[in-house]
Amino acid sequence: MKLVLCDKEFDFIKSEKDINYFNLSAMKISNCVGCFGCWTKTPGKCVIRDEAVKIYPLIAQSEKVLYISHIVYGSYDVALKTMFERAIPIQQAFIRILDNETHHVQRNVIEKDATIIGYGNISDEEKEIFKELVSRNAKNMNFKKYNVIFATIENVDEIVKKEFEKWEK
Amino acid sequence: MGKVIILNGSPRAPKSNSKMYSEIFVKKFKDNCDYFNINNRNHEQLIKTIKDNNYSDLVFAFPLYADAVPVGLLKFLKELEKANIENRPTISIMINCGFYEPKQNDIAIRIMKVFAKKTGYKYGSTLKIASGEGTPSTFFKYFLFRKIKKFAISIRNKKYQDFVYTMPISRKLFLKASTIYWTRYGKRNGISKKEMSTMLIEDK
Ligand SMILES: Cc1cc2nc3c(=O)[nH]c(=O)nc-3n(C[C@H](O)[C@H](O)[C@H](O)COP(=O)(O)O)c2cc1C
Repeated sequence: MKLVLCDKEFDFIKSEKDINYFNLSAMKISNCVGCFGCWTKTPGKCVIRDEAVKIYPLIAQSEKVLYISHIVYGSYDVALKTMFERAIPIQQAFIRILDNETHHVQRNVIEKDATIIGYGNISDEEKEIFKELVSRNAKNMNFKKYNVIFATIENVDEIVKKEFEKWEK
Repeated sequence: MGKVIILNGSPRAPKSNSKMYSEIFVKKFKDNCDYFNINNRNHEQLIKTIKDNNYSDLVFAFPLYADAVPVGLLKFLKELEKANIENRPTISIMINCGFYEPKQNDIAIRIMKVFAKKTGYKYGSTLKIASGEGTPSTFFKYFLFRKIKKFAISIRNKKYQDFVYTMPISRKLFLKASTIYWTRYGKRNGISKKEMSTMLIEDK
């Protein structure tokens, strides 16, 4: 299964047989409130029953993900960041050691190949930060491989189209 | 001594570790420090408070969320960037994360520094806390409180500096301690360790 999460409409991407596509900015997803209910009350399930609940199982099950986000201060902007915070039910509270660092044990999360496209008016310093952020995400989000690509507001459609065609295969 | 505002960017601010840590910080300032939680509805009011008070320093206390700053704080930063604030306070940060390694906070710290640079705020001190979830329930909290006081004094004296804390035990022991911590947490909710260890997501 494949998953596309983005914060802007791309009309050439559609959900079809093994591709799930969500434009998060068009959905109502509230922010994680840090209650740890998904670890200690209803393990594997978020207590906030909004649309995020159908997305985090797909994050877990997809072997290929394409994340497209506007960048602000070197971080994902609000839509993707909100979703990533709401995805912690796919991990356990318990900790393991990975690459000599502490990280959470993953539930049924398959290893993935991730393509991340960051767009906007991004300085070199912000690009550096974002690349490092993705390299940290890789450990917590079970990426076995990842590729970070940058775009401007003007060329993001063109770049996403090109990458999507390669990625889809 | 200048006047300081401390803003708590934890989404569970009223019951957060960031709040407990802020309370230790505030003690070093007596009447010269205002404390507020950031929530989704009070951005305008907080920005007005910053405008009206001529603070010398602004401290953000917040947890690490998904390797970066919590989205609630990110939204606030975007509003603060738009606000026209004349006397811009120096920004310092007190960040805490759940894991053992302080360096897991580094990206969030860089995000805050880029924010400061981009929007014309000076940057001051950093207190980088790891094992921030587990520490309050142990004796080690007193080690941390000492660091928080030093961090506060560095801001009070405008001798900005970086401070680091993690539990003074090995990584292996930390792992054991965290397993006990979370098992107890579940137990209080009537959930066993086995139930907490389910591999299922949404029951599938
Ligand atoms: C959605 C979410 C994401 C988190 N992400 C991380 C993380 O990436 N790394 C980490 O070390 N801790 C992470 N934590 C743990 C918190 O940083 C830790 O529990 C902290 O002590 C919470 O502080 P607070 O009570 O002030 O909110 C996360 C917690 C939540 C709820």
